[in-house]
Order: sequence, then structure tokens, then C-alpha cells
Amino acid sequence: MRDDPSVTALVTRARNGDKLAWDEIVDRYAPLVWSICRRHRLSSLDTDDVGQSVWLRLVEQLNALRDPAALPGWLATTTRRECIRVLRAANKQEARSSNPPDLDTLPDEYAAAAEQELLTAERDVALREAFGALPPRCQRLISMLIADPPVPYAEISSTLGIPIGSIGPNRRRCLNRLRRHPPLAALISAESHTTRGGDRYGQSVVDR
Amino acid sequence: MASQWWIDDDELLATLGDAVRTARDMPANFAEVGKATFTWHSIDADLATLTRDSARAEEEVLASARSEPANLRSLTFTSAQLTIELEVSSGALLGQIVPPQAGRIDACAASGHVQTAVIDEIGCFAIRRIPEGSFRLHCQTVSGASVITNWITL
Repeated sequence: MRDDPSVTALVTRARNGDKLAWDEIVDRYAPLVWSICRRHRLSSLDTDDVGQSVWLRLVEQLNALRDPAALPGWLATTTRRECIRVLRAANKQEARSSNPPDLDTLPDEYAAAAEQELLTAERDVALREAFGALPPRCQRLISMLIADPPVPYAEISSTLGIPIGSIGPNRRRCLNRLRRHPPLAALISAESHTTRGGDRYGQSVVDR
Repeated sequence: MASQWWIDDDELLATLGDAVRTARDMPANFAEVGKATFTWHSIDADLATLTRDSARAEEEVLASARSEPANLRSLTFTSAQLTIELEVSSGALLGQIVPPQAGRIDACAASGHVQTAVIDEIGCFAIRRIPEGSFRLHCQTVSGASVITNWITL
């Protein structure tokens, strides 16, 4: 698990009863919990149920968490367990008449996927944080660039009042700025060390 | 996901797009419920976990040999301080705490709704309406025990 000092600080503050720190933890990681529920194809009712259980468990375990920096991993594991609990409960009715899917094997089957899911979730958290820390002009430009369906350059140009020719350079500058946001830079650096060929890029990319 | 999503601008932008959309697709209420759970942080109580559920026990029995299913579902929650026995009857929750002692019990629903009932000298209580959705029982006794159950959904 990567060390994220800001997670540790948030957990410590929340332990001491700081509601704002708790709210920030929830804002940061609710999409992680939610996306895991979605990947398990839970109904919205079941998703709410899982969400409640996960946050309640976290409130209860907050003081007992041995490694606060490992919070994302703890949340991902707890969410998956709760998803399986809900799926199992839903399968109860069918269990007697038909052959139920063997949900006990689910965690094993998912083990590799789970690790990937956690990496994705952590990456997404860092990306959203970095995006939120960008200057407003960059945020507006990037919002239009990631819009689905894509916003035509002519429209971006008129909305932001910049020439079409400078959209490309601005895009590059904003993305470089995004990469340099410290938690994201740390994550990129950590991932480049675990990915083959990472040494060639890694740190140099985030430093330039 | 590409293994080195941060190198190429197009890949980084696409990855960022996915991350931002995931958060936007999430209903706002999902995070709000999570924020509201912080109220439980200040509660100083021992956690009582579910140690027996007749509905579950019945299934195990059925798996091995046919038996008469129980009419009432009963649940047992255990903590270091005390045990809460709970019976689910039509429309009410009847219970007893062991060792028997007087006190009060709150059924706290996820919605924030709270029902309070008196625990008599022999440890018995009745919660007149079964809470809708998930709830927990918070029990405080004259001897000073404070126990809260895990989340219950009936």
C-alpha cells in the first residue's frame, strides 16, 4: 500500500471527532465504494445497503485501523465482502429450488480482479484530487475535452475565448500540471517502478 | 486500463475522464448517507455481534434433514457485557437481555428514526413496530452496560 500522508491526517482528525475530516473521507472514497457495487451489478437498493454497512463499519473501526494509509484497501475489501453478503442473501430464495451459484468461490475468482480494482480506485481518487486542484481555466478546458460526446474545438475556442491553435498547447500544459500534483505524482512514481519499462519514463515524466 | 496511463496525453485524458465520470454517475445521496453515519462515532458502547439467527440455523438443518420450521425468527447478539435475545413476531420485536436487568433500548433506523422501549427488571422489552430498512439496537442498563448491535435488516 502506498503511503498517502493526507489519508493518514484525515483519519487521525476523524478519530478525534472532526466531522469535516470524516466528510472529506466519504467524499473521496464514496466513488470507490459505489463503483465496486456497480461492478457487482447490485440494484440501487442493495448498493445503498452496502454503502451504509461499509461506512458504519469504518466508523466503528476508525480507532482500530492499524494503518490509516491503507484505508483505500480496507474500504475496497470491506465493500466487496458486503457485496457478496448482499448477493448471497438475494440468492437464498433460489437456493432450495435450483443450484445456486457457488458464491464462496467468488472471492477467490475475484482476487486478481480485486487487486486491479483497488489500483484503479486509488488511481481515480488521485486523479480526481489532482483535477480538483487545477486552476479553474484548466478545469474548464479539461472538462470540455473529456466530455462525452466530445466538444468540438471551435466551441471550446469560443467558450474559453482562446484561439483553436492554443487549445493543444494549453491541454498539454494542464495535463503536465495534473501529473505534478503531489499525490498523483507519488502514485505515478510508485506505479512506474512496478510496471515493466517504468524506469525509462517514471520520474522523468512527472518532473519535467 | 493501460499499464502506463500517465505517459501519453490522450491516455491520461481518457483515464481522467473515466475517473471524473465515475464520481459524477454516483448519486449524491450515496455520499450523504455515509457522512451521516459519523454520529455513531461518539457512541461509547460495546458492539454486540450476531451469534445466532434461526433463519440461518433452519437452513442448515434443512440441508441435512427435514424438520419443522420455526414460526418465529429469533436472533442472538452477543457482547462481552451482555446478550440480547430477539424474537421477530408479526409487527413487533420482543426481546430479553441476559443477565436480566432493567434499562432502556433504542431501535435506531438508518433513516435516523429512533424508537425507544423500556427494559423491565427481568430484562424483557417490546419494540412495537419493526423498523423499516436497516436498524441497530442500542441498549443501556441500570448497571451501566452500554451495548449496540450490528446492523440488522429483517
